[in-house]
Amino acid sequence: MPQDIRLRVVGVSKRFPGVWALRHVSFDVLAGEVHGLVGENGAGMSTLMGIASGALAPDEGVVSVNGVDVSADPDLVRARGLAIVRQEPALMPDLSVAENIFLGVGAERRPRPSEMNLWAQRLLGEWDPDTNIDAAERVDLMNAQQRFIIEIVKALAGDPTVLVLDEPTEHLMSDDVGRLFDRIRALTRRGVGVVYISHRIREVRSIADRVTVLREGQSQGTHDIASLTEKDIVALIVGKAVNHEFPEKQPPQSGGRDRLEVRGLSGEGFSEVSLSVRPGEILGLAGMDGQGKREFVAGLVGLTAGRGQIVLDGTAIRPGSSSHTAAAGLQYLSGSRHRDGMFAELSVRENFSYRTLRNIARAGVIRREAETAAAEAAVRSFDVKTPGVEAPIGALSGGNQQKVLIAGILAADPRVVIVDEPTQGVDIGARVFIYQAIVEAARRGISFIVVSSDAGELAGLCHRVAVFSRGHIVGELAGAEVSESAIISAVLTSGSDRRRQGGTESLGHRVLKWFAGNWAPLATVATIILALGLYAGISNEFYLTSRSIGGMLALVAALAMVACGQQALMLIGGIDLSVGPLMGLTTVVMSFFFVKDMPLEMQLAGWVALFGVAIAVGLLNWALVDPLGMHPMMATLATFMVLQSVSLVLRPTPAGMIDFEFLDAVNTRWAFLPVAALLALAVALALDAALFRSGLGIKLRGFGSRADAARVAGINPRLMRLLAYVGCSVLAVAAGVMMIGQVGVGDAMSGNDYTLASIAAAVVGGASLFGGRGSFLGAFLGALLITQINVVTTFLSLTDGWRSVLLGVMIVTAVAAYSRARKMVVAA
Amino acid sequence: MIIRSRPPAVGEFGWIWIALVLLVGVSALVAPSAIGLASVYSMLPFASVLVLLAIGQTLVVQQRGLDMSVAAIVTIAGLLVAKFSVLTGSPMVGVVLTCAVCGAAGILNGLLVARIGISPIVATLATGALYFGVARILSGGSAMPIPPSLQALAQARLLGAPVLFYVAAVLVVVVSLVLRSTVVGRRFIAVGSNIAAARAQGTRTAAYQIGSYAVAGVCYAIAGIALAGFIGYATPTAGSSYLLPSIAAVVVGGTPFTGGKGSVVATAGAAMFMTLLDQLVLSLGASPAMQLLAQAVAIIIAVSIRRLPNPAKLLGRHRRLA
Repeated sequence: MPQDIRLRVVGVSKRFPGVWALRHVSFDVLAGEVHGLVGENGAGMSTLMGIASGALAPDEGVVSVNGVDVSADPDLVRARGLAIVRQEPALMPDLSVAENIFLGVGAERRPRPSEMNLWAQRLLGEWDPDTNIDAAERVDLMNAQQRFIIEIVKALAGDPTVLVLDEPTEHLMSDDVGRLFDRIRALTRRGVGVVYISHRIREVRSIADRVTVLREGQSQGTHDIASLTEKDIVALIVGKAVNHEFPEKQPPQSGGRDRLEVRGLSGEGFSEVSLSVRPGEILGLAGMDGQGKREFVAGLVGLTAGRGQIVLDGTAIRPGSSSHTAAAGLQYLSGSRHRDGMFAELSVRENFSYRTLRNIARAGVIRREAETAAAEAAVRSFDVKTPGVEAPIGALSGGNQQKVLIAGILAADPRVVIVDEPTQGVDIGARVFIYQAIVEAARRGISFIVVSSDAGELAGLCHRVAVFSRGHIVGELAGAEVSESAIISAVLTSGSDRRRQGGTESLGHRVLKWFAGNWAPLATVATIILALGLYAGISNEFYLTSRSIGGMLALVAALAMVACGQQALMLIGGIDLSVGPLMGLTTVVMSFFFVKDMPLEMQLAGWVALFGVAIAVGLLNWALVDPLGMHPMMATLATFMVLQSVSLVLRPTPAGMIDFEFLDAVNTRWAFLPVAALLALAVALALDAALFRSGLGIKLRGFGSRADAARVAGINPRLMRLLAYVGCSVLAVAAGVMMIGQVGVGDAMSGNDYTLASIAAAVVGGASLFGGRGSFLGAFLGALLITQINVVTTFLSLTDGWRSVLLGVMIVTAVAAYSRARKMVVAA
Repeated sequence: MIIRSRPPAVGEFGWIWIALVLLVGVSALVAPSAIGLASVYSMLPFASVLVLLAIGQTLVVQQRGLDMSVAAIVTIAGLLVAKFSVLTGSPMVGVVLTCAVCGAAGILNGLLVARIGISPIVATLATGALYFGVARILSGGSAMPIPPSLQALAQARLLGAPVLFYVAAVLVVVVSLVLRSTVVGRRFIAVGSNIAAARAQGTRTAAYQIGSYAVAGVCYAIAGIALAGFIGYATPTAGSSYLLPSIAAVVVGGTPFTGGKGSVVATAGAAMFMTLLDQLVLSLGASPAMQLLAQAVAIIIAVSIRRLPNPAKLLGRHRRLA
């Protein structure tokens, strides 16, 4: 019966440059079954899940959820009831736990935003009544386990009909694993289809009903779990030629002293690690992700701080400095090429020779012929398939990229090479080649430390294998003990138990956490405003008078409005340089409509014109940034010039006196308080309410916090950018109307200073140019502080110069404090 | 195995030269006076100042940064050279000290970005305010005269062209050669391209980031001295109008904001292009407003043209069709 098939994958193929990730894969997930999906790293499981979630489009084949073809449509996938729990949770760090769960479920399941925290806390409580996760806290304060639990709770909250779990036990402690299994059984009883991806065969055997095995992108068939022994599954995963691809191991040189000796090295995520490597020896590091093997390597090569002793050929190396480590002859190749392994847009030649620049240079000048010759020789001897040595390395297939990088390392005449996942994203042919290169280099006396999550790879390559758990080395296999099954069993038996982190928080951490929060900038800025006001009041008796304060507030209104506009863009990681000229254009437009004795219908037309200008400018900025793909700085710089020029054409010099009655209306006071300033405050508060309490506001913040996770949650990036750009322009025009109270005429240049001032106000108020942070009230207070500094300096008879210095120092101090606190809190 | 491919296309940094040739051609047709000798002479010194500034801005952009303090440093350089020349009695010492102070200002920018982790726009926006303040305090708000010897140097001509033009040209060539063919230059580009990868391969990345702001500071200093010397006096607002043009020159020259690759030569071409464009618009009798519009259009075209498909391929297709 077709309605019993929850997820159907038919003949799906996907090709990446140089490698088939999937070839004609088909399987069905039935209602009420747990369907295991197993295979080695790189067997195609992550690609398959990308396609099933709609994030990737298959080259061939069809994916259907509950009978509906959903290929390459993530929204439809969600709507049809498929939920994925990713190994790396797709959460937005600047949003609270509750907001993440809120956005993670379909719109029809969302509670009212005001009830969100209670709702989310209840869901977390359903998972674990004693949960230590506070739904109101931001996700960036959560550790890896907590984030993974949030990801699971989020997926379950959507009441899915198909649940995909990707390596779900990697981040969980044993009691949470038990909860997960209970929950899976309860779901399948209700007819949910569960896809369970894992490389832990025992676990899959204990939970799955059927299993599909992938090997090198091809399905090895779907089998009833009862019909297969653990050995059968391993045979299906590994294939018949188990060790065929590995060259014969050469025994390392015996005798002599160690090449590298590490004594009691400790750092973030690992502690008291000691090991040694002999010349020509290949040492493997095994262990689950997060158990310390990668953290140790980062400390060893100096990318993170470390304490302890590193001795290379009898000479000590200072921990914590990657340049010292590399200079001493310890070369490191990252497991994630695109993140920190290569320079994707630089050429094959430049990537190859980066580690040998000193050797091919004379007096600091690179000898180009020698460099090209060396790169071409390497391309030939490593059989790299490339259009030429000048081709950008990013255009090559993963295997060819890796060959170039390894050739580059070996050319640098290293003493120890540390390779993380030497064959990640590498096709089978290149893989054999890389293994041979490593073994060959080891035979010449180079020592290797190989980090890999592929036990077969470690078994085939290494003389010894050290197993990491909880940041320590807990076991070592040597000689004949080094086999795939021995490594897997050592890893699985050691890595299952996780320490629960957290507990009581220190006072210092709580203070820091507050400083990293949304409200710290508000309190900080407000305190400075009061302190500065008090000081000025004591120094000059005329400062704390209603007359002076009223005058200052009259200046605040325009800056506060435009700062709110700037804040809206910074929330999504954008910036708008064109707001200043837009304010100038606003005064110019007004100078044609709001002059003396103008009939009412003309004034009305004026308002329509202003609104039209705001929308048009917002759309222009958006169109340049989004569909045209310009950098926001460039795009809004171009708009800056366009607007300035339009204003100057209309009013080459300031002219067009605005009607006095209109000016009086703009400058109206309530008691001594300018109504415009009160209005700006009201706007800021209303926008904040929308930002933190409405679905749209939460979406906007989520998009700014992490765009790819927002995309997973079904947030439309185009719409968010449109909203921010048009919103910013509307607020800038409103600011221009408020500014007219001071300017009085149509003046093209009158707004220009507001561009930089609005950016300053927003960042002082807590906005981050990286997106997701800040509040409109913060922007208002930032504007107030900047205006106050301008006014106070006059009262303290400081010159213009000192005012400017004070402003600069204040911006740097405020921003440095916020960004420092955020970094430290996330690190803690 | 090397697979032979098509000959290289115009490339992202080649466009500006095509545009410059086109612009000269159009000027010759519609407003010959715009590229007449007199007009070129009056234009070149200011174009050279812009080139000097844009070199610095390009270096910073190559490190994924942006320097909003350029206007303030240019201003302060003019004032400092006037002050130091009087204080030390030697304009040459004044020039050296000015370059040193502006380099230090650049280092402060770099420290805030690379060490404290403030985003470049905000950091340099703040230091810009700081340096402007210092400039105001230094000058007391009024203009300061430049020593006659410096004035003479800045206004001098060599083989018919202004000396400032040679200064800018030499700096462009030197910076370009250093980036292109030295170890330091290669590392500089690599850090801009992927800072994490450069660090993983043992490069002291912060030094290159901070260095870009420092060298930029020195470039601005030379530009500020040149500008003040050419005009004859330093004012506390001299540099204000140079922030946007310096960014525009980088953008139009084709150096991307994503860091890494860049071309100071293309930036210099773009600075000449923008100056000539202004000149052309003026010679056509249009208002300064039209200058801005023309610049904006140039920026938008410059950015979008590089997103078009490869022109060599288009040409190839046409040839097949014919």
